[in-house]
Amino acid sequence: MDEKEMFVKAYKAMALSRALDRKIVMAQRQGRVGFYTPTIGQEALQIGLSMALEKEDIVYQYYRDVPFMLHRGVPPETIIDQIMGNSSDIEKGRQMPSHFSSKKHNFMSIQSPVATNLPPATGAAYAIKYRKKNDIVVTTFGDGSTSTPDFHAAMNLAAVFDLPVVFLCENNKWAISLPVEKQTKVEIWKKADAYGMRGLKVDGNDLFTMYETSKKEVERVRKEKKPVLIEAVSYRIGPHSTSDDPNKYRTAEITDGSEKDPITIAEKKMIEHNYLTAEEIEKIKSDAKENIEKIFEEREKLPPPSPDTMFTDIYEKNNWIIDEEKEEIL
Amino acid sequence: MSSKQLNMVQAINSTLDMHMKEDDSIILLGEDIGKDGGVFRVTEGLQAKYGSDRVIDTPLVELGIVGMAIGMALSGLKPVPEIQFQDFIFTAFDQIVNQAAKMRYRSGGEYNVPMVLRTPYGGGIRGGLYHSQSGEAYFAHTAGLTVLSPSNPYDAKGLLTSAMKSKDPIIFLEPKRLYRSIKSDVPDEKYSIPIGKAALVHEGSKMTFVTYGSMVPTVVNTVTKHSIDADVIDLRTIMPYDGETILNSVKKTGKVIIVHEAPRTLGMGAEISAFIGERAVDYLMAPILRVCGPDIPFPYKLEEYYMPNEGRILKAINRVQEFR
Repeated sequence: MDEKEMFVKAYKAMALSRALDRKIVMAQRQGRVGFYTPTIGQEALQIGLSMALEKEDIVYQYYRDVPFMLHRGVPPETIIDQIMGNSSDIEKGRQMPSHFSSKKHNFMSIQSPVATNLPPATGAAYAIKYRKKNDIVVTTFGDGSTSTPDFHAAMNLAAVFDLPVVFLCENNKWAISLPVEKQTKVEIWKKADAYGMRGLKVDGNDLFTMYETSKKEVERVRKEKKPVLIEAVSYRIGPHSTSDDPNKYRTAEITDGSEKDPITIAEKKMIEHNYLTAEEIEKIKSDAKENIEKIFEEREKLPPPSPDTMFTDIYEKNNWIIDEEKEEIL
Repeated sequence: MSSKQLNMVQAINSTLDMHMKEDDSIILLGEDIGKDGGVFRVTEGLQAKYGSDRVIDTPLVELGIVGMAIGMALSGLKPVPEIQFQDFIFTAFDQIVNQAAKMRYRSGGEYNVPMVLRTPYGGGIRGGLYHSQSGEAYFAHTAGLTVLSPSNPYDAKGLLTSAMKSKDPIIFLEPKRLYRSIKSDVPDEKYSIPIGKAALVHEGSKMTFVTYGSMVPTVVNTVTKHSIDADVIDLRTIMPYDGETILNSVKKTGKVIIVHEAPRTLGMGAEISAFIGERAVDYLMAPILRVCGPDIPFPYKLEEYYMPNEGRILKAINRVQEFR
């Protein structure tokens, strides 16, 4: 794939993700979706990193990474099935929306408690190193996660054991209502130094910068088998979740579709580089919208999972206690 | 068939050795387990034999040890993390309860965590509040976990072998006060004791003891010494416990005493008592009694008052014997 094709693919994923987010937020307001954590504003940083990865690389992502997943080839149908919790959902409707999983695309299953994906990411990297493979592990998290003991434990372990892990801090400046200035006294990327790890800050709103930086860092991690902390600075344009009203605690810095929106920035550069024309961009956006509308209507019709699925996958094989409870309830 | 007289430390050590020899995906990790061989010497000699990348001396971070093990398991390895004392496990509780235990379920069965978490538990070594706790109920209360506790070296080998074959997370609780106090004949070859099956370690007809782990020798010794005509059930698997063996015995004897070291309130005894009440109330001839640790933190100097002993077990025996 040449540079142009790469960036066109990236831009298409950004547009698709934005269309999906807008649709899901709207559907939630209409009572058709239970809950969602919009990813609006974090498309560029996720996709910029994703562009630098190989298929075999493993991602321990968090609950605001839809753009990342779409770019890596997870079909929007899979995303929407999870959000609806329907009979086609990989997770059989067990998790709240936004807690995706796709083994096929090397995406780990997502949990709610923040940063608890980080220590397991180091274990996956240890396995790669132990088996002398060339893959790397990426783990993503928000600025709030950097205050947790899990962040500290994982950063320390990755450094001590020289593990191939990219720690991507998606600093969107807000952990629900707490601004990053109140989360930590130092800039996040500087924390790497305390662990003996490379750390850097990058403009996460610029797809092109994010890709250039990620490419270099991913190559380094793969070659040197050492971790890196990348702080990608962006902005959470939407609420924390559909249950949150940010007007209570902040005035919006960047709004959907404005000058500083990472999608607007990407569009300008796509035109500058002659990768796309303004007309092509409009077409990509309207196609994305239409596509998502169609998929949503279609997936919404799917029934919920059958009740007996509730009692599977607790263990490889149910024990007698679960079997009895199943019989009593169903 | 050759066998050796081993204590529990030796039995666990040789079992780990046997499995590691066969399967290079097995990785041991924990604090001081390598060069030092573990504070109880359970992993003695294994780092020298298998290298520091398979027997890993980790930084001092329980949540990191368990979290890292979970990631290893998800990437095709078979990690055996050690938490030095079960009392130190609580910072790793989130990883155990929210990651390991729920991974299979929440991923729709796409991912699973085959991990054997070993940790010494219980009193008897004068360890005070933070080297004596029995926290089995915390783990038994979490769907997705399997909780085992051997009461002798033979069972330790057989249960650990079953644990190593499991595709799901196992909490392997080692009663530290039995580590070196008893020996049994342990066959050299591989054998397994099935998960979920209790052992009837003493047979009788007048009452049923249900116990496990560190309390098994105390109960058996008391029953033998005083010629009590009792069944003694060693659960071996705390979760899922063997309801069938319990019921069969209760239907025969009609009297039940449950003995464990963990605090009484909401301990395993409460669950087993409720279970018996639900299924065999017609057979009961006496109230179900519990002989347990009290609902207080574990004391240092006065630990022998804390742990159930012969005297307290005899009192319970006398009480159920009053019912005819």
